[in-house]
Amino acid sequence: MTTHAIETRDLCYRPGPGFEIRDLSIKVRQGAIYGFLGPNGAGKTTTIQLLLGLRRARSGSISILGLDAPRELPRILGSTGYVPERPHLYPYLSVAEAIRYHGAFYPGFDWSYAEQLRKAFDLREGAKLSRVSKGEMGKLMILLVLAQRPDLLVLDEPTDGLDPVVRRDVLSALLDFCSQGAATVFISSHLVHELERICDWVGVLDRGRLAAELPMNAFKNGIKRIRLGRAPSLVGDTPFVVISQERSALEQVWVVRGWQPTMVQWFDGVGAEVKEIVDLDLEDGFVELLRGARAPQEG
Amino acid sequence: MFRHIDPGSPIPLYVQIANRLRVAVATGEIPPSAPLPSVRQLAAEIRVNPATVVQAYRELEHEGIVESRQGAGTFAREVSDSKKGAERHREARRLVRGLVTQASVLGLTREDLEHAWKSEIGGRS
Repeated sequence: MTTHAIETRDLCYRPGPGFEIRDLSIKVRQGAIYGFLGPNGAGKTTTIQLLLGLRRARSGSISILGLDAPRELPRILGSTGYVPERPHLYPYLSVAEAIRYHGAFYPGFDWSYAEQLRKAFDLREGAKLSRVSKGEMGKLMILLVLAQRPDLLVLDEPTDGLDPVVRRDVLSALLDFCSQGAATVFISSHLVHELERICDWVGVLDRGRLAAELPMNAFKNGIKRIRLGRAPSLVGDTPFVVISQERSALEQVWVVRGWQPTMVQWFDGVGAEVKEIVDLDLEDGFVELLRGARAPQEG
Repeated sequence: MFRHIDPGSPIPLYVQIANRLRVAVATGEIPPSAPLPSVRQLAAEIRVNPATVVQAYRELEHEGIVESRQGAGTFAREVSDSKKGAERHREARRLVRGLVTQASVLGLTREDLEHAWKSEIGGRS
């Protein structure tokens, strides 16, 4: 019995000079909706391709649904629904043909669920894929993987470029599927607000490295912006991690990670005056975290 | 009913959902024995993780505001008038607290607020 649907250890991959994935260790709890965040070019798509055997890592190990990758990829892929960044369907197929084609690869494909989703999404059976809109393509892609009734969904920017109405339909269908069982969802996106609603775990990738991985609530509650009126003269060890510090004539602004309410006492102890402790939403937290990860280390 | 769910708020989503339902039961918007939406429906409707809805329902059940019946779903319970009153007061305080915080950020004074209060609702009985 495994507790992680995805687990990588010390994954390294270097497609060429200038970019590499280094020592990537990700753990995705079974049943989680895991948001994989990162700026463009951080390596999110590359990581997903490594997980699914579309690229081979130079070193490290990958376990998916308790199976070794890439050794047991056929079994892994049989239970995994994958929506790639760009649709890969043959443009000359119709909607109905694409469903039949895709379903043929999966013995457990749920044809009646596919039909139900097709109707709910208002997709015309005879519509040629070369003619459908981007929104219809997005709905079709999610339909195909949901009807597989997979144990794991790997979604690479599934709502990127879709209008708000379609995004809503796609996410509702995804969440409806999640309510029916214990599927794990690994979803990469830079639409932070969307992930904020649905994810219970977050991993943040920056320049090929995992900058943070933690439960959504801990992420949101643990990162604070603290305005200090009188700054401590000497800062030794802090009970939290200081991500960044900004000084102006009137005040200092610190962004910290791993914050807990009782830690306000620490500032009293070092003679600092706390003016305000500001909660950050996921987007602000994400931006601050990356800013901190990129700042030159002091001392 | 859930238009005010704000994922950016520091208040956890499950707390926001539970608060909203607690008020709905207190004001009679959801009458006793009425069914609550299923976890599946609500999660898809407001686009949150189903586990978040489960957590909200569990909290309400723990407080005795709703009950879950095996296989049938979750239902509002008969809530005493004093409990309803307490809940309404709590919700009103929550609203006012938010208002006061916003006002202080904007630099509005107590007089400004009292004046606005009177002109908005002070005259009504």
